[in-house]
Amino acid sequence: MTTAPLTRLPLLAAGLLLGAGLGGFVDGIVLHQMLQWHHMLSAQLPPDTLVATKVNMYWDGVFHAAVWVMTVIGLRLFWTAARRPDVPWSGITFCGGLTMGWGLFDVVEGLIDHQLLGLHHVQEYTTNKLAWDMAFLGFGVLLLLLGGLLVRAGRIPQAID
Amino acid sequence: MKRLFIGYLLAIIWLLPTVCQACTVCRPKVQAAIHTPEYSANVALLLLPVVVLLLLGLGLYYIGPVLARRITAGFFFSRS
Repeated sequence: MTTAPLTRLPLLAAGLLLGAGLGGFVDGIVLHQMLQWHHMLSAQLPPDTLVATKVNMYWDGVFHAAVWVMTVIGLRLFWTAARRPDVPWSGITFCGGLTMGWGLFDVVEGLIDHQLLGLHHVQEYTTNKLAWDMAFLGFGVLLLLLGGLLVRAGRIPQAID
Repeated sequence: MKRLFIGYLLAIIWLLPTVCQACTVCRPKVQAAIHTPEYSANVALLLLPVVVLLLLGLGLYYIGPVLARRITAGFFFSRS
């Protein structure tokens, strides 16, 4: 009888999706709703009237619904990974995955929405939008590095990864 | 617990309005501004980062261990 070698990747993947989802909620709650620095389409449709603001709120809702789905999928993967005998349980690896997921959200969303498509910028009400966008990307990279260190610290000698 | 859950669900259904409760003045303008010919393009653009993240996460979950096992077993090196 052969047993599958130990692997941390499923736990890491679940942490990545959950972290990305939670990072998306931080973005939505803090930057969209509390600080109101931007909305999903605020560079295309500036929220300077009530109607434009409500339209932006609708598109925020569409994005956050998708982020909610991503979080649920992450939770499902976490549940499945927890019951696999070939996946070693490691809190530090999972925390690393969560942190990397948040960072990955900031980097992917920052590159695609802010830089590539120009749908919105981190701070719409400033003359130097690029500086805020770069700070957002930098924060994402920092979280990625921190998460990577945690994942590295949670290595298990018997595991293949 | 079951009764509490059913009661909670019934309360939500009861609270769901049968008619639109949004602002009657601006709602038609808001709906008109949302449902433009660019609607599908907007949805696709907004969902793009989520799709990329999902592909990364699911790829790592399902394909990652297979690749790691092959690399560990020297699959790529033994064929060269």
